[in-house]
Formats: sequence, C-alpha cells, structure tokens
Amino acid sequence: MKEVDALGLSCPMPLMLTKKALEENPGEILVHVDSGTAKQNVVGLLSDYGFTVSVEQTGEEYRIKGMRA
Amino acid sequence: MTQRRVIGPTAWIVGAAGLFIGALAGWLVSQGNPGNMGLCIACFWRDIAGFFVGGVSNQAAVAYIRPEIIGIILGALGAAIVTKEYKPRGGSAPLLRFVMGFIFMSSALVFLGCTVRAWVRLGGGDLTALWGLLGIVIGVGVGIVILKSGYNLGRAKGAPAWTGWIVTGIAVILLAFALWTQFGTKPEFATLTPANARAVIPGEVVVAPAPDGDGLTVLRPADATIVDGAVVAADGEVLADADKVASTGPMPGGRRAPFFISLAAGLAIGVVAQRSRFCSVGGIRDAILIRRFDLLFGVIGLVIGATVVNMIFGQYNLGFTGQPVAHNDALGNIAAMVIAALAAVMLGGCPMRQMIMGAEGDADGAAAVVGMVIGAGFTHWAGYASSPAGLADRAWPALGVMAVILAAIALAKRARAA
Repeated sequence: MKEVDALGLSCPMPLMLTKKALEENPGEILVHVDSGTAKQNVVGLLSDYGFTVSVEQTGEEYRIKGMRA
Repeated sequence: MTQRRVIGPTAWIVGAAGLFIGALAGWLVSQGNPGNMGLCIACFWRDIAGFFVGGVSNQAAVAYIRPEIIGIILGALGAAIVTKEYKPRGGSAPLLRFVMGFIFMSSALVFLGCTVRAWVRLGGGDLTALWGLLGIVIGVGVGIVILKSGYNLGRAKGAPAWTGWIVTGIAVILLAFALWTQFGTKPEFATLTPANARAVIPGEVVVAPAPDGDGLTVLRPADATIVDGAVVAADGEVLADADKVASTGPMPGGRRAPFFISLAAGLAIGVVAQRSRFCSVGGIRDAILIRRFDLLFGVIGLVIGATVVNMIFGQYNLGFTGQPVAHNDALGNIAAMVIAALAAVMLGGCPMRQMIMGAEGDADGAAAVVGMVIGAGFTHWAGYASSPAGLADRAWPALGVMAVILAAIALAKRARAA
C-alpha cells in the first residue's frame, strides 16, 4: 500500500503528492491530510481515478483510504 | 496509469457555488455597490484600510468598512464550526505569507481588483478584465513552474488556540466599528466616504445628497453652497458649474448596498465559499498542474451568474472603455495580475480562500490577510494604486520590486530534497 503524508500542507501540495503516488499505480493508497479542503480535493482526485474511497477522522487528521475497485 | 475521469461530481457543486456568488455580486451592484464591485476582496479590504488610515494614505474616496467582508468571515467560521472543520493551525512561514499577502494586494490595486473581481468584471461585460485574466493564466503558469521546482512553505502544525481566532477577531472588531459608524457618528480618527458623495474636483470640491433627500449639499469646501446646481464659494466664485456637478458620479467608497444587505450577502458567500472551496486562481492552477477541472467550474459559474444578473438589472456594458473602476492599460493589467496570481499560487489560494482559511482557524491565512490590509494602506500612501485614468507613474517600478521579492521567496523556499 502506498502512503502519502500531506499533513499541514497547503494547496495544491496534497493533490500533487497524491497524483505522484498514483503514478506507481498502487492498488491501495492511504493519504493523511488535516484540512477539510485537502480532504475534499484528495477524495475527488482518488474517485476520479476510480478508487473506492473511505475517510476516517481521528482527532488531528483525516485518513483517506483508496482501494482499487 | 489507468483511465481517469477529468470532471468529477464536485465540479457541479463548485460550479453552482460560483453561479450563486456571481449572481449575488451582480445583485449587490443593483443594491448600490460600485459597478462590477459586488464582490472584490482586495477592493473591500482596501476600503476598510481607508476607514482606519484614509486620512494619511490619501484614501478619502475609498473609506468604508465593507460589511461583506465581515459576513464572509463569520459565515465561513459558522460553516467550519458546524462541519467540525474549525481547527487552530499555523506555523507555515507566516512572515512570508504576510509579505505575499501584501504583494497580492499591491498588485491588485494596480489592476483595480483582485483575482475574484477579474472574473466579476468580465461578468459585467468589462473586456479589459480579459487582460487581467490573461495575466492570471501567465502568473499561474509561472507559479506552477515554481511549485514543480520543489517550492514549499513547509507544514502547518497545530497552533495555540488563540491563533485560530485572529481573523474572526478582526471581523468582530470591524463589526463593532461598522455598527458604531452606522448607528452613531464615526470615530474621530476614522475616514468615511459619505454615502454617494461625489468628488467634483477630487480633494477640493465634494458634494453629497442632502440629508433630507432633496438635492445636494456641499461637503467641501466648508463655506461653499449649491446655487442652481453649481458649487459656489462664500466669495461668490463658481468652483464647479452645474454641468460638472451633474456629470460627476459617486466615489467608489460612497457607493454601497444597505448595511444589512451587504452583511447578509457576505454571510451567504462565506458559507457557500467555505463549503464549496471556491477559489479564483485554483481552477486554472489545477487544470494545468493536475489536469483536474472541478475548481475551474467555480469561476465559469461566477462569470455566468454575474452576466445573467447584470443583464437582468441593465448593468451589463460590453466593451473596453467606460468600464466602472477599471482602466484600459493592457500591459499594466496583464503585469499586475501576473504578480497577483503568482502571489496567490505561492500562498496556496486566492485572497478569498486566505480569508476563509483564516476563519477556519488557519493563522497562516490570517497572516496573509493582515498583509493584504497593510498592503492596501501602503499602496495608496505610496501613491502607486491605479485610477480609472490608468497606471500611476510609480506602478511599474513597484511591480518590478514585487516580482523580485516573489522570485527571491521562490528561490529561498525550494525544498532541497523535493
């Protein structure tokens, strides 16, 4: 599984890092973000690539998990 | 890589948000706001700066606490709290963000509007906005090159609770001053452009609608009066003839929608912008950089919404000349928006997003907002803000300095191990 740490980064870094990780064509990806904007953008990008996306919110961060459908 | 869709479902959400914001911007003009200025983050903060420092920064024509700004911040705050997205954070190069907010505002005042108003102006038929939009595309392009070179301001971290309230605190203080001025007399130190005041001869002869609503009254010079529509001094000298008085329009700062209409519109825009993540530069940035087009629907929606509403209210005026609060210096418009868009990309979002991030508790967004306000006062004080007549003499050197500073920041913040 590919893991991306985009905590505390402002736009468009979370999207850039996620897109870069996707270039390795992982079957599963986990992206850590901590702002609502980054969450929505990353969820959108992963769904665009056909991933099934789930978001888990812990105290400080959103863990966005994408699984190849 | 596998096939991907290029337009996701959020495109329609952002697009609808843009449509709503653009329509509201058009409607606010019908309610009294300056032409094509139903929504302009730079202009509105500039007017707010004018209220506090207008006396020393030569901003008497643009001095008014715009309630839209207060509304946007409080609306975004409310939306962030309800959705549990409010969170104090900060520490990602706040000083540089202050500088870039300052530069964003300075360059926006050379264009006469921020990256949001560039789209709003196009929605009013102002074709000089196309020069600005070309500048935005170029500025975003340069910004992308910088992003790809590994530019990074560093991570924000959790921050002390009070830092999350900076922008909200500013909004509350502004609300107090605005209410004080609205329902009492303005504070002694403040400058306030009287409602619908007209600078017949700027700085010398100023008239305003009479308090009883019948005809005009002279605000400046103090001892002059209106005689048959002309402004006549105490010694009988005609300072401005009736034709000149009649042909002068109200100053931008004196043109405003009713207080609570502006405030309510701002609240609605704040909620919609916070939820939709609307951004006036992010659309072009993501389209080029990520090949993701969802955000672009926001500004397209804005232009459509503003165009339709402006047409309904008879405010639509297609052309390059005679546009409200705009000039037709093509190169100046392009260059100013190159700088503004570059600063916005390097900040991670347009001025409206900086405000909204600030409301969400982001102290770095707050630093950019404070930079914008101080930059507004400075730009007018230093005399390089544009007027509808065109660029000020000092505008080009000022833009040059801004470009050098942005280049230096871009070089300094390249992560070595990108």
